[in-house]
Amino acid sequence: MSTGEPNQIPVTVLTGYLGAGKTTLLNRILTEHHGRKYAVIINEFGAVGIDNDIVVDADEEIFEMNNGCICCTVRGDLIRIIGGLMKRSDRLDGMIIETTGLADPAPVAQTFFSDDEVRARTKLDAIVTVVDAKFFPARLEDSHEAEDQVAFADVILLNKTDLVSPEELKAVEAQIRSINKFATIHRTQRSEIDLATILDRGAFDLERILTVDPEFLHAAKHGHDHHHHHDHGHDHDHHGHDHHDHGHDHDHDHHGHDHGHAEAKAPAGAAHVTRHDSTISSISLTIDGPIDPDRFRMWISTVLREKGQDILRSKGVLSVAGEDRRLVFQGVHMLMDSNWGQPWRAGDARTSKLVFIGRQIDGEALRRGFLACARPA
Amino acid sequence: MEGNGTKGPPRRRVELGAFVVGIAHDAAGGTVAAATGAGKVVLLPADPLAQDAPRDVDVHRGASLAFCRGPSGTDFLSGGDDGRLVRVGADLQATEVLKARRGWIDGVVAHAGRSMVAAAAGKLVHLVTPTGTHELGPHPSSVADLCFSPDGSRLAVAHYGGTTIHLTQKPAEKPRSLAWKGSHIAIRYSPNSKFLATSTQENALHVWRLASGADMQMQGYATKAKSLAWTHDGNWLVSGGVELCVCWGFAGKGPEGQPPLELQPPGDEPVLITRVAAHPAAPFVLLGFADGQVHVADIAKKRVTPLDGPTGSPVSALEWSPDGWRLAAGTEAGTLRLFDLRPRG
Repeated sequence: MSTGEPNQIPVTVLTGYLGAGKTTLLNRILTEHHGRKYAVIINEFGAVGIDNDIVVDADEEIFEMNNGCICCTVRGDLIRIIGGLMKRSDRLDGMIIETTGLADPAPVAQTFFSDDEVRARTKLDAIVTVVDAKFFPARLEDSHEAEDQVAFADVILLNKTDLVSPEELKAVEAQIRSINKFATIHRTQRSEIDLATILDRGAFDLERILTVDPEFLHAAKHGHDHHHHHDHGHDHDHHGHDHHDHGHDHDHDHHGHDHGHAEAKAPAGAAHVTRHDSTISSISLTIDGPIDPDRFRMWISTVLREKGQDILRSKGVLSVAGEDRRLVFQGVHMLMDSNWGQPWRAGDARTSKLVFIGRQIDGEALRRGFLACARPA
Repeated sequence: MEGNGTKGPPRRRVELGAFVVGIAHDAAGGTVAAATGAGKVVLLPADPLAQDAPRDVDVHRGASLAFCRGPSGTDFLSGGDDGRLVRVGADLQATEVLKARRGWIDGVVAHAGRSMVAAAAGKLVHLVTPTGTHELGPHPSSVADLCFSPDGSRLAVAHYGGTTIHLTQKPAEKPRSLAWKGSHIAIRYSPNSKFLATSTQENALHVWRLASGADMQMQGYATKAKSLAWTHDGNWLVSGGVELCVCWGFAGKGPEGQPPLELQPPGDEPVLITRVAAHPAAPFVLLGFADGQVHVADIAKKRVTPLDGPTGSPVSALEWSPDGWRLAAGTEAGTLRLFDLRPRG
């Protein structure tokens, strides 16, 4: 499932606003007999039992890299801690990094793109954000951190669902979707979730996130459909209720179902949903075919260099002309990383998909730029 | 698993089975010690022709993170991710020197002349002197590296935003701060105490002229240099983080405006230098590479000579014996190699 080197340790960044249930989830990871060995990097360590895991105290100090890039901030202590963990002789199955409730996830994520040694030994697996179903709407009003944490997330635990009515739950999920259309949402109570569904998901999840088109579902709820394509036959995790039984089995079946483009005539489609009370939006772009890798690299590095302050996250799974593997790409602000992922199989629709989540996103300009990266047929 | 090579100087290869974190020789040069990622300290004869099996002792619950020779010259000091600083004697007796309240001990240095030890734990440095233990800091960030000045009167600490220099005889006095934006990860005084060099996360070296406080920046490195070395005479500064042996000249007016001396290691494929170690009495620098190769650079003759080939794992520790005739190299995968360069015949 790995997109990188075989020995890269998967890293999960755990975020969530104060009181959302992050500590409960962390205690679950530390005390459950999951049979795996995790290093858990936290800020303050309370009295919880530890089964088999390593707990490391970190200083959450953020360093500005002295390289002229103003948004290039990293967690310096993380570089030191990961270097230390790599000296240990016991094999780690993963690392989990807790951030404080008010933390911006960007410096943590950027650390995994900017330090050569950290890059060689670890890979950013997912940003997991715990959201309080009851208080999230209020948090959105009074803090930008809660919104940023949702925008950065690959996986969202919509927690404390037992404290809200079904209508409130739908409304908060719609709010989350308006910020981030692409995260996988798991509804939970007391942060109860099968850890296998949130840890070490790798490229598989990225591909699934990009293959499922959640904005279709979102748009349908609001009764106005901006989108131009959708897929059939997926398992829609984010619409289920406590899908604890999903996600153990990483089969690739759903790729085989990827043939249902209702309006396949357009070579690329862009869809854009903006929340009225928020500046953050997300956009997805598709090319029904391969890209020219050189043109794409030039374009994406220009986009991230010029707009990287506003683009919180970018991710993509791309078909490259003449290459049998998927090119999996992800970025945080101006920094990015790409790796070869799973090979395409016979019958796969070799489409190239890209998502951007950020502020003041000019969807039309991005769409035109991405389209120009299509390899001429 | 071990063996003796057939070509070149006498050598011995021992598999320690865990990341070689640090190597030190005792002051007499008869014993070499290594600390590992499995939390062990291993002792064996420094003579590669000796047959004695390595002896080891469990020192830390997790990994050793820092290692050096103790001030007495006969024992060794290991700091670990259990927050403990442990002294290991020649008889393998392990004694706890101190336990940090919080965090790992991931830096340790000793000064023989003044019988001092300094250990880094998070933002603090614990300075152990014959008269007592002092807590220095908190520093602006976690301490990345530290070193004593050659005479032991000062202790320089590398951290984010620059370095802090403490007076070891007046630890309560306000330390001197030398600021340079960025994260400083390794620090070394020049042997003449005129310069203080650091390497930074931003793939550069930074050097302060201590008399004036003036500073200079050397750039162009492929990656961050985790290892820094001054030649014994203070004339050259060499580091890892690059595929050439880049030597900055500090004799005369210093390196400003001068290109560095670049020595090309032999071989077709460029390989990153991960560790460097300067000879105690001659302008030789040991180079340890990312593929396990060990070379000797002779700066006077501008020549790099291979000493041993690749093992497949980066050199993580590299040390000359105090007399400069023997040396030891450790790798991340746990291979320890000993060499004796004494002329034979």
